[in-house]
Order: sequence, then C-alpha cells, then structure tokens
Amino acid sequence: MVFNSLIFLAFFMVVFLIYWFPLKNTTKGQNIFLLLASYFFYGYADWKMLPLLVGATVIFYFLGKGIATAKSEKQSYWLTFLGVVLGVGALLYFKYFNFFIESFASLFEACGLHTNLHTFNIIMPLGISFFTFRMLSYVIDIYRGKFEPTNDIIAFGTYIAFFPCLLSGPIDRPTFINQLKAARTFEYEKAVDGCRQILWGLFKKVAVADNCATYVDIVWGDIGSQSGSTLVLAAVLYLFQIYADFSGYSDMAIGVGKLLGFRIADNFKFPLFALNIADYWRRWHITLTQWLTDYVFMPLNIKFRDWGNWGMILSIVITFVLIGMWHGSNWTFALFGLYHGLLYIPLILSGAFFKKAKLKTNKLGLPVAKDFGRIVLTFSLVTIGLIIFRAPSLTEMCAYVCGIVNHGIITVPWLPSVIEIGRIALAIVITITVEWLQRNKQHGLELGNVHIATRYVLYWVLIVLTIALGNFGANQFIYFQF
Amino acid sequence: MERNQILAEVQEIFRDVLDKEEIELQDATTADDIEEWDSLTHIQLIVAIEKHFKIKFTSKEILSWQNVGQMLDCIAAK
Repeated sequence: MVFNSLIFLAFFMVVFLIYWFPLKNTTKGQNIFLLLASYFFYGYADWKMLPLLVGATVIFYFLGKGIATAKSEKQSYWLTFLGVVLGVGALLYFKYFNFFIESFASLFEACGLHTNLHTFNIIMPLGISFFTFRMLSYVIDIYRGKFEPTNDIIAFGTYIAFFPCLLSGPIDRPTFINQLKAARTFEYEKAVDGCRQILWGLFKKVAVADNCATYVDIVWGDIGSQSGSTLVLAAVLYLFQIYADFSGYSDMAIGVGKLLGFRIADNFKFPLFALNIADYWRRWHITLTQWLTDYVFMPLNIKFRDWGNWGMILSIVITFVLIGMWHGSNWTFALFGLYHGLLYIPLILSGAFFKKAKLKTNKLGLPVAKDFGRIVLTFSLVTIGLIIFRAPSLTEMCAYVCGIVNHGIITVPWLPSVIEIGRIALAIVITITVEWLQRNKQHGLELGNVHIATRYVLYWVLIVLTIALGNFGANQFIYFQF
Repeated sequence: MERNQILAEVQEIFRDVLDKEEIELQDATTADDIEEWDSLTHIQLIVAIEKHFKIKFTSKEILSWQNVGQMLDCIAAK
C-alpha cells in the first residue's frame, strides 16, 4: 500500500475520520485504533510476517521492563545484550544469511575447496531494518538511563509499528512514545502543513523520481551499448531519482503524521546543497545516520579516543561500512559505505570535519562561487557513490565505470523523446528552485507566513504540475526493499 | 575539589575546545544549548577533560550523561 495509491488514500481517510471523530476524546482509544490500523497496514503488505512483528514487540516491551528493574548492573547489561542479539540476529538471519553462505562458498571455491553449502528460501519481512532499529534503540536507551520503560504496551506497540514510518522510516527514537501518551488535539495549522508536505513529497515522487527511473532503468539495463555521456547522465539522474523518491516518501510520512497530530523526526534537510560529504550526511537519511552515530560511532569513538584522528577515522569507516551494509546483502553496499567513510579522511585530517559548514550567498541570493564549487564537488562525489549503490553487482559496477571512461564521454547522450526529457528537466529544475528558496525551512512547501492568495495559487500550480509531469505507474518506493 | 571549581575548569575547557568564549555552563546545560557541541566535539571535550583532571571515564558513564551537571558529578566522584 504505497502512499501515492488510491487504496492508501481510502485507508487513510477511514483512519483519519475514526481517529478524529468517534475517538477524539480518548487517547487510549486513539492509540489502540492506530495500533490496529498499523497492523492492518502491515498485514495488507505482508500478513505472513505480522506474527513476527507482534511477537518481537512483546519481547522487547518486557526486555525494556527487565532492564530497568534488574537487580544488578550485570543483569541489566545481559538483558540489553540479549535484546541486541535478538534484534541484530533477526536482521542477520533475514537479510544476510544467504549472502554469508554464498560468500563463504565462493571463498572456499576460490581456495580450491569444494563445499556443499546451500542457500535457503528466506523471505525478508518488509520494514525489518526499520522496526528492529526502533526496538534496539528502546532497550539501549533504557540501559543507558536515557529513557524510562513504558508501562503502556499499546503505546509501545504503536511506536514500533506506526504505519506512516513502518516500512521505510523515518526511524523515530523512543521519546516518540511520550507523544503517544499525551492527549492530542486537532490543530488546523499543523494538519494543513501536513497536507502541504504530502503534496511536495508526492510531486517529488511522481514527477521527479518516477520519471528519472524510466531513463535510469533503461540505461542500467544495457550498460554495454551506452555512450560514456549517457552513463554520466543516468548517474546524475539516479541521484535525483533516489533523493526525490526517498525524501518524497519521508515528506509524505511526516505529513501523514502531522495529520494525526504527531511530530515525526526529519529525515532530509536539502542534501543537494551540501558543502562537503560530512555536511551531506548531516542532511541525508538523517534518522539512520543519527541512529548509527549514537549506537555505533559514539561507542567506537569513545573506545578509540586516545588514538586521536586515526581513532575517529577508524570509527567512521566502520560506521559507514555498516550504513552501506544496512541497505542489503551485496558487496556493492559495503563498498558504497567504505567509499563514503574514506571520503571523510581529508575532512578529518584538515579539521574541516569539526566545523559546521555554512553556506554563503551573494546579492542575487545564489551561492558564492566558492560554495557553488563545493556543492558541485559534493554532488559529483555522491553521484559516483551512487553508481556503486545502484549496481546489481561489482562486475556491473566496473562495467559502468569502464563504460564512462572508454565509451566516449564527450558525445551527445542518448535522450528519449523531447516530451520525456523536457518533463524530467522541468521537474528537476522546479525541485532545485523550490528547495533552494525553502532551504532554511522544514520542508519544501512550508508556507506558514505566505499570503493566503499566493498560497492557493502555489497549491494549484503544484497540483497541475504534479498531474502534468507525473508518472502514475504506482511505482514502489526504492527504500521498501531495504 | 569543590564542585564550583570543577565547573569553572570544565567551562574553560569547553571554551577552549569549542573555540567560543561566551560559553557559560550550568548544571542543566545540554548539547542542544551550544551549537558547536555535537557528537564529534563531545569526544574532544572528553579527552581534554580526562587529560586535565587526570581521570578516565568508562564508556557507560560517557554515554549516560544527559547534561553538564551529570558530567560534573561524575568528575567529582573520581
């Protein structure tokens, strides 16, 4: 049930009406209803895995209580350890088990040893990478003394399975439970802002991501016969595709959350204007990066703190390889993470890493030349990284890179019909312009202080553009597979 | 050492590491109150504090602090 589908619209309208009318005055009733709606949403996508989600929720609820009421520090530590083993174990089993078997078999065969290792038919539960991270942060935060375990299993279950964030994040922290426990009142302004954010997310998804996807998929489907310039264009368009797809999804999830009276964590802060790689990762998939910063990078960095910059580099590289591997069981993802980790080395050694990058603009409101150069450089480095990310295998990644070098980069790239390329170009120009103008706001269509007439003109223009430029093939979101 | 003395010395370390003279620490101060204080500069602050007071924190201690007051209590207890 993707957000940009009629079935989701029908589902959400029913949820919204029941939630704000008959259940308006009962927080408990609203939470029970949200939990049931979330389980229905999950079951609609993958009913066979629903018992796993419910079972894991119950286990982590009681683990949290056990950690807080443990009789000794040691007992509390081992209960937390059990939680981490269960969460990480589930991820390893469902996402990486076959990958490890295949990798070991290849390694043994490379050494001349014949093996009888077989892979298994393991179906990965949807959203597992997201809901296990919520469960893990719950038990770890309780162990660290940062969060009190809740006595409200309904609120806990809703935090884990909250349908707008269940399949692709954002990955909210346990403090979200406090929002679930508080009474909710319908705030008109918040709800309208949620609608605006959904509209902007929808535009990015159907007008930018799904149009770019058509071109990118054709090029990736036949790398060998493409010119170097076509491969470069497809690589650039893939950056726009994945950004518009995932940030569009996140905008819609946050917007749906606002309509239900919640404040879901931001996941993107206009990463197209990042000034360096560190700045980029502070703006891209923020809830995942922040999660790994708190639970992986920080403990490692504390462990290695006496090694100075090299301790930090080691911690960053390990964290980024894990960020890469989180996306799936493929060496390309590990290499993608390693590539980004290594890009931090010059920033750490030069000290630029420790200074927050601040963008300067000229009289025209555009970035000054130096910062524009830094934006272009960061954009190019990210584009290269996404070739590794998009490649189905290391072999195809090499073929793609070799194709750029060997197949004529100074040529006219293959272009589809004028209408199609015009649609892609216009959608991208609109996205860049809007996000540049709104870069200090929470999202691209935050228009709280704009005059009402202007606001309505902008809504209608954007709705018309979404319909005119959009590709309504009901394509899945890229991050559903992770 | 007096707690106020510890606070004064820790404040000096914060000003020095974060390169910001205006920093005024209180028990309730958190990373949200000081823009320059993030997960990266946090480690630099820890290393500088450990060096200055000739102490060593455990990982759990460092990860459990929620404000400056808790950090000062930990230093005072060493």
